[in-house]
Amino acid sequence: MDLSKVPNEKKLYLCRWYFRVGFALLPFVWTVNAIWFFNEAFRKPEYEEQKNIKKYVIMSAIGSSIWFVLLATWITTFQLNRASWGEFADHISFIIPVGTP
Amino acid sequence: MSESDGESDFNTVSEKTRLMDGHVETNGSGSTVPLDVRNGQESTRKRSRRSGNYSEASAEDNIGGEAQVSRSDGLSDEEEELKYGAKHVIKLFAPVSLCMVVVVATISTVNFYSVKDMYLVYTPFHEESTESSTKAWMAAANSLILMAVIVLMTVLLIVLYKYRCYKTIHGWLIISSLMLLSIFSYLYLEEVLRAFNIPMDYPTLLVIMWNFGVMGMIVIHWQGPLILQQAYLIFVAALMALVFIKYLPEWTTWAVLAVISIWGPLRILVETAQERNEQIFLALIYFSTYMYAYTSMATGDEVPNVTTSRSTSEDHGFTQDWVENHANRVDQRQLEVHNMPSGQPRTQIHQEEEERGVKLGLGDFIFYSVLVGKASSYGDWNTTLACFVAILIGLCLTLLLLAMFRKALPALPISVTFGLIFYFGTKEIVSPFADSLANEQVFI
Repeated sequence: MDLSKVPNEKKLYLCRWYFRVGFALLPFVWTVNAIWFFNEAFRKPEYEEQKNIKKYVIMSAIGSSIWFVLLATWITTFQLNRASWGEFADHISFIIPVGTP
Repeated sequence: MSESDGESDFNTVSEKTRLMDGHVETNGSGSTVPLDVRNGQESTRKRSRRSGNYSEASAEDNIGGEAQVSRSDGLSDEEEELKYGAKHVIKLFAPVSLCMVVVVATISTVNFYSVKDMYLVYTPFHEESTESSTKAWMAAANSLILMAVIVLMTVLLIVLYKYRCYKTIHGWLIISSLMLLSIFSYLYLEEVLRAFNIPMDYPTLLVIMWNFGVMGMIVIHWQGPLILQQAYLIFVAALMALVFIKYLPEWTTWAVLAVISIWGPLRILVETAQERNEQIFLALIYFSTYMYAYTSMATGDEVPNVTTSRSTSEDHGFTQDWVENHANRVDQRQLEVHNMPSGQPRTQIHQEEEERGVKLGLGDFIFYSVLVGKASSYGDWNTTLACFVAILIGLCLTLLLLAMFRKALPALPISVTFGLIFYFGTKEIVSPFADSLANEQVFI
């Protein structure tokens, strides 16, 4: 979609929709929302719905960064400690590498 | 992958998508007529859009090339057309090449897709004998069965379409895209990780797949940034191509490619849709430009009818029709690759430009990738490159023809024929030649 051709109410609607959907454990949607509407929120000249769009973009950005920090911590912990956790780690592992370390 | 998966994949309809000629309307004509047509098309587009999502197996080949016909003074029509047509050809190169690169890269690194341990239920003849003649008739039988299944699916879809069971079609498309995105990408991820020996735990995997799948559904079926939509469509096409390569026995693949390039059973569907003046399925269409009015190029308003047929993953009867239309697609979003943003027809009554873009059906992507992937699975880079170049040349030629004839054309035949010729030629002739040259240290 080309945002420049879409009327402002529609943009606000889209932004808000993406923001709400992101609450279903979907940080990716929040990231996309933040990036996609970034220009709209911060670089375009003022228009009526821009305030709301800014709000949503900022909140989406904050939400997705929190998620990514969480994911990164979990992934690092898992990768580093997988061998030492023993059975529990095997149980939650999807792929266990073969070969000797 | 179990056979039942394959079956469900095949249950999707394989249709050849074709782009139908749109109606060309000039700017100067009364606004009511274009508006009505546009609105009508818009609503049908909306409907077809939602139903058009075809995710699972087959990608339909809908290729529409739209040449821009400009009626501006100063440039002859033909010049304009060729100029814009050429631009769009180039724009199509990137996604097609990207798709092929993804497929080739996966085949070379991940063994899973080159190993034949399971076959689809649609290809009951496994080419395990060593005699050529047995292999040949097995391949022929397999491809006939596949084509029959494709035709069946097409007929089914036509019937559904004729009776305007849009809901069924929509539901079907949505389910197939969902399955494609989730199941196939899950398997793909698993195989890639296994090939690179990277450990992964279930929680992370769940989060990643969930995000990827939902984002894909949103972007393809609803609205989302164009780039993301294109990327997802390319990825889905690559997945399908990989599935094809894995699950079809050797000679069958080539036979299917040959047959498909000659035959095109989805003409009926397209013609039906054309009669109705509706857009059938906006699925699996890859557009190269934005379908918005660009004030710099304004000429006639055309409301194109684009029909895309969905092809099931396993059976792909793809016919690609190139349509030279100016699409005034305000609201189009198609399943597979649509690179078109949609505008709103209501507000664009006086819009002068129409989207000028070349639309390529997703099935075409898939088959091109299958060709190149198969070529690369034999390990020889010469053949792979030769096929790649051949396909691109075929694409150029098809687009050129599109510009000349200005109606929907199938995009598969020329490219696939070239590809096959180049492949076999290179394999038999050029490779041994290059090898012996290298042996003798003769540099040309």
